[in-house]
Amino acid sequence: MALSFQNTNADDLLAARRAHNERLARRADQKRATWFPVALLLVLAALPLVQLTGNYNYVLHLVLFTASYVVMASGWNILGGFAGYVSLGHAVFFAIGGYFSGMLLARLGISTILTAPLAGLVAAIVGYLVGLITLKVRGPSFIISSIALLMIVRILFDHWTFIGGANGLSLPINDLSVLWAKVPYYYAFIAMAAFTVWATYRIKHSKFGLGLRAISKDEIKAESAGINTRFYKVLAFASSAFFVGMSGAVWGEYLTYLRPNIFLIILVSANLVLMCILGGKGTIAGPVIGAILIVAINELFVATMGASEINILGTGLVMAIGLMFFPLGVIGTLARKDKLPRFLNWD
Amino acid sequence: MSEIIQVTILGLALGGVIALMGSGLSLVFGVMRIVNLAHPSLIIAGAYVTYWGFKLWGVDPIVMLPVASLIMAAIGVLIYRLMFAREAKSARYSEMTVLLTFALAMMVEGLLGGLFTNTQRVTSPDYATAAFFIGDVFVPKGQLYAGIVSIVIIASLSLFLKYSRLGYAIRATTQNRDAAELLGVNVNFISVLAFAIGIGLAGAAGSLVSFVFSFFPAKQWEWIAMLMSVVVLGGMGSILGTVIAAFSLSIIAAFVGTWVGATWSTMTFFLALFVILLVRPQGLFGEKPELA
Repeated sequence: MALSFQNTNADDLLAARRAHNERLARRADQKRATWFPVALLLVLAALPLVQLTGNYNYVLHLVLFTASYVVMASGWNILGGFAGYVSLGHAVFFAIGGYFSGMLLARLGISTILTAPLAGLVAAIVGYLVGLITLKVRGPSFIISSIALLMIVRILFDHWTFIGGANGLSLPINDLSVLWAKVPYYYAFIAMAAFTVWATYRIKHSKFGLGLRAISKDEIKAESAGINTRFYKVLAFASSAFFVGMSGAVWGEYLTYLRPNIFLIILVSANLVLMCILGGKGTIAGPVIGAILIVAINELFVATMGASEINILGTGLVMAIGLMFFPLGVIGTLARKDKLPRFLNWD
Repeated sequence: MSEIIQVTILGLALGGVIALMGSGLSLVFGVMRIVNLAHPSLIIAGAYVTYWGFKLWGVDPIVMLPVASLIMAAIGVLIYRLMFAREAKSARYSEMTVLLTFALAMMVEGLLGGLFTNTQRVTSPDYATAAFFIGDVFVPKGQLYAGIVSIVIIASLSLFLKYSRLGYAIRATTQNRDAAELLGVNVNFISVLAFAIGIGLAGAAGSLVSFVFSFFPAKQWEWIAMLMSVVVLGGMGSILGTVIAAFSLSIIAAFVGTWVGATWSTMTFFLALFVILLVRPQGLFGEKPELA
């Protein structure tokens, strides 16, 4: 091969490169199990039918809650996993999405399910502007600046009387019967989760995603390789804010009230980080697995020990143990040992 | 005019305590490059030690200070051994340790909240609510004492760093870890020592905080951003910078609190942090823009 390089012209080289890429893609396709997420989606789509046989609202709530976190954690993963910028302030976009759609619902009566993409866009615009400022610094500085952002927005929301201040805002309750009240939100979250997972997959395999991964490995080299790192980073921030905002929008209506101490707490941000790290930062399936694990662990803590303080302690403990012993997360650790089961390979 | 003097004095009185709260954070960052987000939660742990000492045996918080400090230093050694010693070789060390300290902060908050509930606590020695009057201007006694104690502690810390052999070693490790090791400094021991001193300072600050502010486990989040702004403005790792930043920010916050509104005085710190990180990430006295 190496010897024949001198005689080949550029077209041959490009053709060879293309053939090589296709071979790699084919091999990746063989290893990937696309059927699994699709089957999972179908099962989840059929799940509300159990309501015909009895009241399974708790099951629906759990799936819905997990799906909302899948949306947010996958969104966070774009910035934190692909680009390597860990943010502890993403609760801000959760709140922005929730309040934007919530205000539209309260004032104009438009369902948040319809306005969710719009709320996502608003969150993305805010994310873009914030990113322009804070993404100038990286590493610990960025993490600290994201906490400061959360604190600033919390104070602003606590004192902004138009949106109810610290007391928050109640939203109208839908007039479905108890059995079916959760179902619209259930489908909304499932649809958003599916869209988010698909979108992160597309992002990861696009030029944009490749650029982000280059940034996370070595930003200076990425810059000198001709990647517009600043634009890429800010775009990653905005798109991750989009998904988090979208999830917040529907979550607000689901809860029927908005309040800063529900949306703007660091525990929400911490959960996103935790899910991605536990599942596997920078992988597609990671945030999904992480969300399932964390929701399950949380429910277990709450069911067995109640108190929210224990919950905080448990979250911290899981986070510390995960960080110390499995920094690559479930998916990453398994993939490194080449033991990743086929059905979890979504990358 | 007397209002201006009054507000300045109130700001100065708080500045000392805030400087002490920040100095441990700065020291730990300087020697180990750990941004210790758990620092405020450990301050609150120190405050609880003092609180129970005061509540159960009526020990004065300032007398309790060395005890709280030693207990927290011991806990610091334990934390370092369990959590950070193994991370020393990690490729993404700084990011890893930030997340670990964040997890630690949550654990300490959860533990304290579970043990002592989330009600507001404050120790009330009789000087906590008393004040000196100089003409129209009053100086709250509790804050004055706390400020003096803080300055004494920080001054002795500076003297220790400047003139003792261990202090030399700590400063050498701060400046250049590898070179210090080459010159025969036991870097691992120095790291444990500095971490223990840093957390011990958190315990000492906790004793003072227990009568200057009211506290509860979840208050740490408010303090994280406040202390970060002080330490980042001063330049991470620089004790002198921390002290100057603490006094200037707390005076500014006192003015904002009087003229704009009490809720906005904490905002001063957060906004300052934001602006500093963007304009001058290495802070006033930081040398290397390592964080940028």
